[in-house]
Amino acid sequence: MEAQSSKWVFRMTPIRFLLLILAGVAAALAVYRLVVGLGATTNLNDHWPWGLWIGFDVLTGVALAGGGYSVALIAHILHIEKFNVIARSAMLTSLLGYLLVMIGLFLDIGQWFNFWRPFVSWGYHSVLFEVFWCVSLYTTVQVLEFGEIGTEKVAKSWHRLFAKAMPFLLIVGVLLPTLHQSSLGALYLTQVGKLHPLWWSPYIGLFFLMSSFFVGPAMVTVETSLAGRAWKHWVDVKIIRSLQRIGVTVMLMYLILKIWDLFARDAMQYVFAGGLESTMFLIEMGLGVIIPIIIFFIPWGKTRAGLITAGALVALGVIINRMNVVIVGMIGYSGAGYIPSAIEILVTVGLVAGGALAYCFICDNFRILDHQEEQHKVAQ
Amino acid sequence: MEKKAHEKEVTRRGFLKMMGTLGLVGATATALAGCGSKESAGGGGWLPQQYQAAGTWPTQVRGRVPLDPFSPSLSRDDKKCILCGQCLEVCQRVQSVFGYYELPVKNDVICVNCGQCSLWCPTAAITERDETQKVFDALQDPDKIVIVQTAPATRVALGEEFGLPPGSWVEGQQVAALKALGFDKVFDTNFTADLTIMEEGMELIARATGKKDPNKYPLPQFTSCSPGWVKFCEYYYPDLIPHLSTAKSPQQMFGALAKTYFAEKNNVDPKNIVSVSIMPCTAKKFEASRPEFNDAQTYWGLDEEIRDVDVVLTTRELARMIKAKGIDLPSLPEEKYDSLMGEGSGAGLIFGATGGVMEAAARTAYFVISGGQSAPILFNLTPVRGLEGVKEAELDIPGFGTLRVAVIHGLGNARPILEAVRRGESPYHFIEFMCCPGGCISGGGQPRTSLPPSDAVRQARLDMLYKKDDSYELRESHENKEVLELYKSFLKEPLSPLAYDLLHTEYTGRGSYLKALPLEKLS
Amino acid sequence: MAYVKFDTPGKGVLVDLTKCVGCGSCSLACKLWNDLGHDDEVPDQGPDAKLSDKNWTAVKFFALEKDNEPVYRFVKNQCLHCQHPACESACFSRAFQRTENGPVVYYPHLCVGCRYCMLACPFDVPKFQWDKSFPLVTKCQMCSSRVDKGEAPACVGVCPTNVMTYGDRDELLAMARKTIESDDKYIKHIYGEHEAGGTNWLYISDIPFEKLGFRTDVTTRPIQEYSHEFLKYTPPVIVAWGGLLSAMYVYTKRRKEVAGKDKKDVPM
Repeated sequence: MEAQSSKWVFRMTPIRFLLLILAGVAAALAVYRLVVGLGATTNLNDHWPWGLWIGFDVLTGVALAGGGYSVALIAHILHIEKFNVIARSAMLTSLLGYLLVMIGLFLDIGQWFNFWRPFVSWGYHSVLFEVFWCVSLYTTVQVLEFGEIGTEKVAKSWHRLFAKAMPFLLIVGVLLPTLHQSSLGALYLTQVGKLHPLWWSPYIGLFFLMSSFFVGPAMVTVETSLAGRAWKHWVDVKIIRSLQRIGVTVMLMYLILKIWDLFARDAMQYVFAGGLESTMFLIEMGLGVIIPIIIFFIPWGKTRAGLITAGALVALGVIINRMNVVIVGMIGYSGAGYIPSAIEILVTVGLVAGGALAYCFICDNFRILDHQEEQHKVAQ
Repeated sequence: MEKKAHEKEVTRRGFLKMMGTLGLVGATATALAGCGSKESAGGGGWLPQQYQAAGTWPTQVRGRVPLDPFSPSLSRDDKKCILCGQCLEVCQRVQSVFGYYELPVKNDVICVNCGQCSLWCPTAAITERDETQKVFDALQDPDKIVIVQTAPATRVALGEEFGLPPGSWVEGQQVAALKALGFDKVFDTNFTADLTIMEEGMELIARATGKKDPNKYPLPQFTSCSPGWVKFCEYYYPDLIPHLSTAKSPQQMFGALAKTYFAEKNNVDPKNIVSVSIMPCTAKKFEASRPEFNDAQTYWGLDEEIRDVDVVLTTRELARMIKAKGIDLPSLPEEKYDSLMGEGSGAGLIFGATGGVMEAAARTAYFVISGGQSAPILFNLTPVRGLEGVKEAELDIPGFGTLRVAVIHGLGNARPILEAVRRGESPYHFIEFMCCPGGCISGGGQPRTSLPPSDAVRQARLDMLYKKDDSYELRESHENKEVLELYKSFLKEPLSPLAYDLLHTEYTGRGSYLKALPLEKLS
Repeated sequence: MAYVKFDTPGKGVLVDLTKCVGCGSCSLACKLWNDLGHDDEVPDQGPDAKLSDKNWTAVKFFALEKDNEPVYRFVKNQCLHCQHPACESACFSRAFQRTENGPVVYYPHLCVGCRYCMLACPFDVPKFQWDKSFPLVTKCQMCSSRVDKGEAPACVGVCPTNVMTYGDRDELLAMARKTIESDDKYIKHIYGEHEAGGTNWLYISDIPFEKLGFRTDVTTRPIQEYSHEFLKYTPPVIVAWGGLLSAMYVYTKRRKEVAGKDKKDVPM
């Protein structure tokens, strides 16, 4: 791997070329949307003020990028060193995820030139205010955290400074996500009576926080397997399994709390009531929580394939959960359906493609995957 | 010289450059200033002055009339409404319709379709439901025979739409314009006005001489040719419906005959006839849409619904059609109505004026009761003429005694009389009610005049009708030859069974659509 | 929990739905006064009447049955001007603020266009200018500039049948209670008295509110409180969790240094 050399490289492969096209199309569509407005480009309307971009790009994006803070907490705050091997890639994914979230959010607001307003006009009664501040600060923190990696290659004289700042950045970088991951869920507290009782709960903030925490290990698993294939850099199964053990522990707590909450609010009746909501809820919980837990405890769960499957299911489950909250859980109240427009979908796909490309580019040029000297080996 | 020109060119370019820069700077500054507004939203428009009042002060004029969006007569364009309140003013204070029922409402938007609101509306936000396209389409269709009738009052008002003074007589030009538009037959509602007199007059005689059951057909007899008035009676005085003459209005008589008598005489399929009427009235649109007015269909025993009158156009709509075709009405040569249903007497003509129906009926009733003589004084029955709201007259008829009549126009004027009838204190045998002030000449479909419509214009139109009546040879309905021919060859005689089938009707009590406020509660 | 605490509930409007004849004056007055324009797609009157960016108020027509007889009713919809507005608590840039006189007003220059207010409003009042390049949120301002001058909102002043009464909310509430208690035809409920913690627009009716398109399952707890219930934990969480993280960082690092002196790993 030429990460250490001062040359900039970007290997072009067919998949990367496809990603590039998707990202390019999305960029063009994004500019188009910024010029002509939301009504002309999205299927949003007064019944559906929030759709795919908020649901997937923002809510889901932030959750999936939760790997950064959970791994940072485990590896760097708690200093469980065996996880250092995956920490950099997890935190890079998180950084890219948050940048994409910021782009998604920027595309979704009507007065995009006014995006800075909450910095000066403090709507501190708003849960969104907390989300806004935390997400923007956390993205800044992550950029600074990346500075420690970046200065290994460019502006090397700053490296010591960044390295010195890391402890502080790491602590703030765990604190902020804790706040906004939960407040993203708490946004829906105001939807009392609107959001279907399977999802609306006074503890929805806690549920969002927990799921964003346990989706971290799952995402890291999936991501290291993808990276492993691309860069022939395989992380030890044991490390992945012990990371997932932490995730599964939180998932078990999540499951118990969820069941208790449903009983406490007398919402258990909706779980098996049939219909769209109950089906989607069962898929979300079954596929995304219960089956991964089972996989972990059966022998297959000790293999790489089993762990990757479990991780993918957990990530899928969180995606379904966020989309359920934003879309499925609101259909009953809204009375109208919502299918994202082609532009909404293409921009979302393009954002993800752009993120993947950025990940590839950074892995090609910086020490992300093999920064432990003892693991250092030349790829290819 | 050359150098000077060069300098000049440079200067011009510099000047243009400077102006362009200034323009850009100005536009940017304006845009920035616009973005920087710290105001809360809203309040950027205006409201009429009467609404700029302290919160609890009741303003005298406010709001507007409720209109049924599916009203067959009237439509309202909110883009033009300025909430001046004039529609409400005429509806409540002149016509006594709005505000005369208890709230909450039942299941109707109370409206007598008179269209006076459309005359009072300063921006024409309220106007008739435009049906000109239907007529244009019918005229285009080669399979259709489009026949048209023109009401007595349109010929003294249509000219105003083309710059002529109020009351200008354009009967001949109107016929010519209709023919130029492509109507196959142009007939006159005056013909059926005369017919109405025959039927309604005979009915009056029957009631007055006790030939009809006084419980079912009591006195006084009310006229029934003003559809706004009829609906008003159905709403507010449903108990007095038996007083209404069973004779249809001239428009509906014409419609029924168009698809029976005319169809038979000309051997055409009634299904192919499109019967159009030109009326000074928006309520006529509603009248034509009343479900019971399909007597031609019953006559022919058809399953498919055919309406006696297919389309009713107001005077304003006709003017619009004429203008759309680029026809200059005043310069047209005068033409005559087609025969069969085109002859009308002076009696039929003055149907357009308040008191006219009464006067016309009196002429024929006198003739019939007295056994064939006409009293010359009846040709100028002055007590029933003019714009007085309530007019009374007494006629001594040989062989009968004194016939006491009253003439009312404007629905607000009707209420005290109707209350008296209700109490059994009415001395009259016969009462003419016209919905609109001044009668049909100032109907809701007539050309717009001053705001509110002035009596001067009404008087000018009235004067022309009486002037023309005075100049006619034929001034009595029972002398209309085409009417006599109709009886001879088709209906047999007034009040015959066929006449009942085609020329008489029944009314619908609408008392259940509202709860009328008792009059004493209103003042 | 408002940004500024007010002692008085402010001005309000009492709507007596039994008096409405459906003339639409109120809706038009709103358009005139606020220069809103007309929406060809979304009517502001009739059976399909809806609030929209151009319809800050709408008069919806209902054909119903009462005592087995068909009746017509017309319901004027607009912002109810909550005592504790959900939109105010939802907006992260303070574009919505309740004023001392009662109206909940919107300041376009503060708006980012995130539409969280639309989600938060229990009555679905805020609407978005979907067809604009730089859209804003819109809603009834209760003609706050008129109210500040002591004038009734535009819609109130133009009503020919006195459907609406403008005044102090507590007086209106007393009036409404007296009306529904003294007349049998009224439903014994004042809509807006408790809904979403109380609104400055109050409704009385002779037809059950749920049949007239009103949301009767709405919480009586101010929506603000749901957010507050969550946000009040933010400062303690920052302090406690931040402190705990720092402590853990220092502790585990020290332990590691003590445990393995040969390790020369730097974080990350």
